[in-house]
Amino acid sequence: MSAPVTTSPLGLQISTPTDTTLVLSRSFNAPRRMVWDAIFTPDKMRRWMLPPPGWAIASIECDVRVGGKLSVAWKSDDANPAMTLQGEFTAVSPHEHAVHTENMALGTGQSIGSLVERHEFAEKGATTAMTITQTYNSKEDRDGALASGMDEGMEACYQKLEALLHERT
Amino acid sequence: MVSDRASRLDHVFHALAHPARRAIIRQLSGGERNLSELAAPLKMTFPAATKHVRVLEHAKLIRRRVEGRQHFCRLEAAPLKEATLWTESFREHWEARFEALDSLLDEMKSEEQTRARRT
Repeated sequence: MSAPVTTSPLGLQISTPTDTTLVLSRSFNAPRRMVWDAIFTPDKMRRWMLPPPGWAIASIECDVRVGGKLSVAWKSDDANPAMTLQGEFTAVSPHEHAVHTENMALGTGQSIGSLVERHEFAEKGATTAMTITQTYNSKEDRDGALASGMDEGMEACYQKLEALLHERT
Repeated sequence: MVSDRASRLDHVFHALAHPARRAIIRQLSGGERNLSELAAPLKMTFPAATKHVRVLEHAKLIRRRVEGRQHFCRLEAAPLKEATLWTESFREHWEARFEALDSLLDEMKSEEQTRARRT
């Protein structure tokens, strides 16, 4: 059953069609070959894979063909790498769809989760609808990803703190 | 095996899980305070406030310095920065990413148009 969790004026739709999946849909004002390039070219990925405050992307590799590797490393002031993402493309049809695995780990090597991500691109006139389907290992993992930071009280508190901390540093 | 980093994060979250301790953090965001200044608005006893301060100290969210009989507390920035990574909301994170993607695509389009005009 596909039930939209939330809808935004920007067109981002988040839904949970099954217990272990999470689907993100968003339209872009560009042809799909361009959206594809923006999503899978390392130099361009740096522009939208926004690192958390105080962190930076240390390296990105993305070889979008079957068997090709996806590898991202983040660094922080006190750890390099602070976090890593390692994956492999398992299905690729250029400008149409791509499937890759994702294993996330802390800099210490401790695993913090894995999932399979499928990107689909559909051109509609001058726009491209991109759909990202994330498949987690369990419902708990999926819910964990979706719920991270959803306690609004806490979230607002953290954001205020973060802003203050930036002013002070 | 639990890594140092993960256990540090556990301490941070445990410390922030209590409203009184979040109130202390909020107060300290305004600058250094002594223990009695922290205890007063919380309407709690001095020992109770001290207990919360110790938890925050243990999570390295605050630092305490002693001057005579006064204990002064102030915020430590680094663990809080680390905690925000785990608390940023899923939706906000992806919306921000997609907005960045919008501007990148706009740039790519104008670059392409410029190239097309040149040839």
